[in-house]
Amino acid sequence: MLHYLLRRLLLMVPTLLGITLVVFVVMAAAPGGISAQTLVDGMELEPQSRKALEDYYNKLYGLDQPAPVQYLRWLNNISPIGFERNTDGTLGAFSLWKGSDLGTSFRYGRDVTDLLAERLPITLLLNLISIPLIYALAIGIGVQAARDRGGRFDVSSNIFLLGLWSVPSMLAGVLFIGFFASEQYWRWFPTGGLIRRETAGETFLPLFASFSDVVIAAVCVAGLTLLLMQLLSRLSTTYRQWLGVLIGAGLGYLMALNLYGQWFAGLHVALMLVLAMLMRSLCGLQNMPLRLAIAGSLGLGLGLSIAAQLGVTFLQNGYLLDRIWHLVLPIIALSYGGLAFLAKLTRSSLLENLAADYTRTARAKGVDEESVLWRHVFRNSLLPLITVSATLLPSLLAGSVIIESIFSIDGMGKLAVEAVQTRDRELVLSITLISGLLTLFGYLLADIAYALVDPRVSYD
Amino acid sequence: MKNGQSGISRLGFWVAISLVVILLLLLMVQIDRQWTRMDDMRRIMNEQSKDIRSSRTLLREIEKALRSGQLTTGKPLASDNEVDAKADGFARALEAMEEPDFAQGDWLRLAFASGLKTLTPLVSADAYSADVQNYVLESMLVRNPDTLKWQGLLADDWQTSADGQTITFTLKRGITFSDGEPMTAKDVEFTFDFIMNEAIAAPRARAYLSRIASVKALDEYTVEFVFSEPYFNSLQLAGSLEILPEHFYSRYLENPQIFNESRGLLMGSGPYRLADPENWTPDFGAVELIRNHRYWGPVNPSFDRIIWRIIENDSARLTTFRNGDIDVYNALPREFENLLEDEAITDRSQYFEYMSPTAGYSFIAWNQSRDGEETRFADKRVRQAMSLLTDVDRVLEEIFLGYGQPAASPFMVGSDQHDPAITPMPYDVSKAKALLDEAGYADRNGDGILESADGKPFEFELTFFQDSDDTRRMVLFLRDLYARAGIVMKPKPTEWSVMVEDLLDKDFDAITLAWTSGIEIDIFQMFHSSQTVEGGDNFINYQNPELDKVIEAARAEVDEEKRMELWHEAERILVQDQPYTFLFRRNTMAFIDERIKNLEKTDLGLNLMSVPVEVYVPAELQLHR
Repeated sequence: MLHYLLRRLLLMVPTLLGITLVVFVVMAAAPGGISAQTLVDGMELEPQSRKALEDYYNKLYGLDQPAPVQYLRWLNNISPIGFERNTDGTLGAFSLWKGSDLGTSFRYGRDVTDLLAERLPITLLLNLISIPLIYALAIGIGVQAARDRGGRFDVSSNIFLLGLWSVPSMLAGVLFIGFFASEQYWRWFPTGGLIRRETAGETFLPLFASFSDVVIAAVCVAGLTLLLMQLLSRLSTTYRQWLGVLIGAGLGYLMALNLYGQWFAGLHVALMLVLAMLMRSLCGLQNMPLRLAIAGSLGLGLGLSIAAQLGVTFLQNGYLLDRIWHLVLPIIALSYGGLAFLAKLTRSSLLENLAADYTRTARAKGVDEESVLWRHVFRNSLLPLITVSATLLPSLLAGSVIIESIFSIDGMGKLAVEAVQTRDRELVLSITLISGLLTLFGYLLADIAYALVDPRVSYD
Repeated sequence: MKNGQSGISRLGFWVAISLVVILLLLLMVQIDRQWTRMDDMRRIMNEQSKDIRSSRTLLREIEKALRSGQLTTGKPLASDNEVDAKADGFARALEAMEEPDFAQGDWLRLAFASGLKTLTPLVSADAYSADVQNYVLESMLVRNPDTLKWQGLLADDWQTSADGQTITFTLKRGITFSDGEPMTAKDVEFTFDFIMNEAIAAPRARAYLSRIASVKALDEYTVEFVFSEPYFNSLQLAGSLEILPEHFYSRYLENPQIFNESRGLLMGSGPYRLADPENWTPDFGAVELIRNHRYWGPVNPSFDRIIWRIIENDSARLTTFRNGDIDVYNALPREFENLLEDEAITDRSQYFEYMSPTAGYSFIAWNQSRDGEETRFADKRVRQAMSLLTDVDRVLEEIFLGYGQPAASPFMVGSDQHDPAITPMPYDVSKAKALLDEAGYADRNGDGILESADGKPFEFELTFFQDSDDTRRMVLFLRDLYARAGIVMKPKPTEWSVMVEDLLDKDFDAITLAWTSGIEIDIFQMFHSSQTVEGGDNFINYQNPELDKVIEAARAEVDEEKRMELWHEAERILVQDQPYTFLFRRNTMAFIDERIKNLEKTDLGLNLMSVPVEVYVPAELQLHR
């Protein structure tokens, strides 16, 4: 295994070199190219000032040298072993520990490392929330669809997921803002950003007007959450579905009331129907943790709003709630596509294994259905999920270009696009280098995970 | 069931572990927030203790003066100041303060359509950071928005020597920077030396100021600018120099790298300041200025804070404005028309349509020489014909819905540079055809397309920036117009960096662009023959010795009246020659929240962003306290 690992790690080096070379060539060959002239974007400049600016950039980035030399210089800069670089741009003595330097961004004039360090936490925050969410929901839905093959849940979830998968996220993002963040419809969420300016000076946790308010809020939230959890875990499927219909219809009615202020109209009926169906299928899920999670979030939201109705006043909403409130729409927009894809993948891979001989054998020897599913079939169905997860690591950092720009979130995705648009070579190269490295590591981890999950796989 | 049981308990274990981790993370964030808050408080307390110390010193000095009996109370100083203040840059702001509903308070909330790189002056190059710096840095002179004449802001008075090469400014007394340090002539001298220091990454500003030979502080309140040659815009050059505090920026002369790569080193004497003048970074996702409580001027700026959010997505920006979370929304013509019918928007906002002098003019430039050979546009008659065929009025009406003004020349209508007798080229097909005929273009083979004497069809490419919808529409419209006269125009949408390269190589037939403009602008770089060099802005190879002479004379003429006559002469030549087909100046359309009062259109555009601040929110309408 160690031997294998070492070989894989060493193989990464030429792959990475290849990646950077391709990117470098593409950047250099792009129409317009990269030269000091293109960096000087001001059309209002007088000739002598343009010349001065060009000289400055040439000196700083060595742009007047031939492209292969520029590439080698860049390689030398990023490699931890190499020639030291003097401040005037010439190369100094050979050193084994000069440290790697990702260079200075053309556009920002700052160290690329700094820029990445600034953007990384934001993208990580988004992805660390959405990826577990995607996996939990997708596995829950996929498993149930596979068990219920050809049944009502399977067909309806299939249609629903296919629909979700087909909605482009830029459209969804804009629609979310238009409907759920706009004064015209439901202004439940903020239009963008990660925090309200006002919250910066507020407490971390919500601040209530008095202690009795705290108690009332806690009782409302805890009581409702516990009640819903109990109901959703104890009741039989039919009753749960009816409960879901009731809750959904109630929510739909409130939503329409919120928009129109009228007591009854066509919209009320439509929204009640849609939400009732949605809640019915959610409450009807066979997956217990998923149901509990739904009950928990429903309880929290309803509890807070009931507490507010009872006269509990929030002096300050607090940093934590505000941050969560800002994350809701971007997270939904970021996860639904992956959710649909992964759920369908889970379903098909489970189906394949459910039909396999060993499953029949297990059932025949009297293993109960739950154990067959989770201990035998599910474990064997994990392989395609692991393959997909190999691309997860780079996407953790790459961020989502579209979602980030629609919701005004300054993450890695936005940085990458800006870098490409402005021909910011150092930044583009660094980002591709890092995401290339992560992709390769992702594949390596996936390969190791194969061996862990499936004893038949061995690398020795 | 044993297996199932252990599975669930194992799941519970992991859930519990991850809950603990999440709680720990949240705790860390919480403590981090407390820490930054404490940092803020410590900084404010430091500043206040410094203030107390300096006021104590001041008191001691006054006491000493009182004891020694030096203080005389003969001069009515206060009223003197009053008169001065009326005559200088604060007049309009003082008027605003006298409005019955004037009140201090509330925030001004704006939005940028793209992120900022840096706020540090000189290093930053974009218009957005200039917007922010406008509130923080001050120059010695400002233009009066009504008369367009220069008025003193930091300067009390100024004298230009007879040869126009020396300008001496007298600064006002008692000016302080936002950290309480006094501003003197030394700071002005420092600002110039700082910019001229090669180690500072300000080649743009350096080139701009290269006509200034030296800046010298004669005494604490007098500073002298010496120019190396007479230059018409010398007063603007010197007067609009934004003064940087020496005590704050001088330390970066030793470590220029830190300055060049900094993101938020911004401090000045203006009415607003960054809460922390050293540590702003772009990842805050917003720019926030707070009122400068030590502001030296006779007016108190109205807003407590000015906040710029960064919202790149257009529809998100509109929704944010709808929700009342930002105060200003700039609209494109079509959008403006639609929004005017939207009651939700018009009910909560005031709308303005104005022309900002810096907005500039659009044009089509005709390349006169390509690869060393003269093109057909080298013939003046062809260029005139093209201008006659370009129906600017209809383009404005149909594509920009009338939100603009036809441009006759680079000079703005309303400025002294423009000769009112000169009007834009009319749309006249028959005259154009006659001119083309005269130049040797006629339909020789009956296919409806004009041919030159040697049988080549009249065909050219029009390069334009691909990402602008309105420009694209205009180009397609022009194609139809030209086709009617038998001219084949091929639209060539181009990416910005490619366009820049085309301009450098002078590799295009015709190109449509816009120059930014101003009250009195220099046309040397666009139209002087010497600028046809590689990298020059005369990218169309336009050479006219007569115009060269006029431009040179105008630039060196210090006397305003004589210079304006020269500019009029230059304008006449330009209109006659039509090196560009001058298209139009576009209006800016803006919706502004209705709680902001005292908005007014001036000759400098809307006064929303003008400094000293003239707009305010009456007390009963204020949202933030």
